[in-house]
Amino acid sequence: MALTSVETYHNPENETAVVQLLQQYEDSALIVAGGTFLHGLAARGLLSGVEALIDIRNLDLNYITANSDGVVIGATTLFAQLEEDGSIGQQPWLGAMKDAISYPPVQIMNAATVGGSIAASCPFFDLPTAFLALDGAVRAHGPGGSRDIPMEAFFAGLFENCLAPDEFVTAITLPQPAAGSASAFIKLETNANDLAILNVAVALTMDRSNTCSQARVFVGGGTGETPARAGSAEQALVGAVVDAGTIDRAAEAAKSDVDPISDHRASAEYRAEMTRVLVARAIRKALERAR
Amino acid sequence: MKQVISLNVNNEAHEVAVQPYDSLLDTLRGTAGLTASKRGCDSGGCGCCTVLVDGRAVYSCMTLALQVKGRAVTTVEGLRSNGELDPIQQSFIDADAVQCGYCTCGIMMAAKQLLADNPDPGEDDIRKGISGNLCRCTGYTKIVDAIKLAAARLQAS
Repeated sequence: MALTSVETYHNPENETAVVQLLQQYEDSALIVAGGTFLHGLAARGLLSGVEALIDIRNLDLNYITANSDGVVIGATTLFAQLEEDGSIGQQPWLGAMKDAISYPPVQIMNAATVGGSIAASCPFFDLPTAFLALDGAVRAHGPGGSRDIPMEAFFAGLFENCLAPDEFVTAITLPQPAAGSASAFIKLETNANDLAILNVAVALTMDRSNTCSQARVFVGGGTGETPARAGSAEQALVGAVVDAGTIDRAAEAAKSDVDPISDHRASAEYRAEMTRVLVARAIRKALERAR
Repeated sequence: MKQVISLNVNNEAHEVAVQPYDSLLDTLRGTAGLTASKRGCDSGGCGCCTVLVDGRAVYSCMTLALQVKGRAVTTVEGLRSNGELDPIQQSFIDADAVQCGYCTCGIMMAAKQLLADNPDPGEDDIRKGISGNLCRCTGYTKIVDAIKLAAARLQAS
């Protein structure tokens, strides 16, 4: 592994010790847990100045709690634990999260952590798109204590986020939505191990007359430096009876909301067209769960 | 800075000196001399380095040696017990599921977790269970057959 600048591996036992290490190393330390993205960062030349790795798995951030306010997931919770957690797996409003972790192979499920998938701030990852649709927040710990940052304000660019150098992610919070809410996520991929060509997450709140009262639609994986919010798709849904015509209008609108890139995985044209296709599918999938 | 740690591999303690950036794969192959786990892509994309850590399949190329200090690592060398091949190993032989063999060790370790979790997997379960492992030769058909055979033998035993 091309990480030869790393001289020290730390296993701090509490938040205060992590903050002290971050302050001591300034920009030359990296928080790790599962470590599954170290290669990805190293391959992009982003670890050349890293002298210390700070492993936060001794901090007891390995938990999932659910109550009437919503769900809190500790930063070092493994994907496999999320999948196995019976209390949240069947909730329609968390469908997008459940879908997002149905794609990785077992070796990633056993190592990758929820906090890492967010802190990495990689627009090709799947949980960020899902959590954005679920209106999640990032809980960060720093010298002044903890603060919750809305997920939409957290991502600041490719592998960039709004954390201060001496802050780190301790949990993800997902607020309980109104009754009648459901969500869904779809990843377009070449194989189980590749990053997304495109991913889409939709969260809807439906009333009894099949009218949509709230909608959040996000598209990630090659749509920019952060997942894109499909605002006009949301406008096409909110206040409308969600029938085939509405779904088509929302999906067409989503296509105009994104400005995809061309790369080795797919062309911009293909991504734009698949945005339309996948947004329609994800709306249908969420609707089925809302019933 | 190198530090000496004790790695528990296949129920044997290995005293190894590792750098903080040394992968478990490099440590197993280079320092401990256990070469069944293969280096393919070396970046978590092909699965031929798969080992078990506390019974769970992980990519050893993506795992740092320091991360498994105090945990139980199992490689293909540790599958055999009492001089007998593991039913998974024997089934890969009997189902002709090996062509060049480079992916085989990793796939058997993924199958080890799969069958521990789900003793009677369907074809879809098996394909999902080995979705993190690439095989360039076989087209997977005989690999899936071998895992089905191993499941049947384990259930019968």
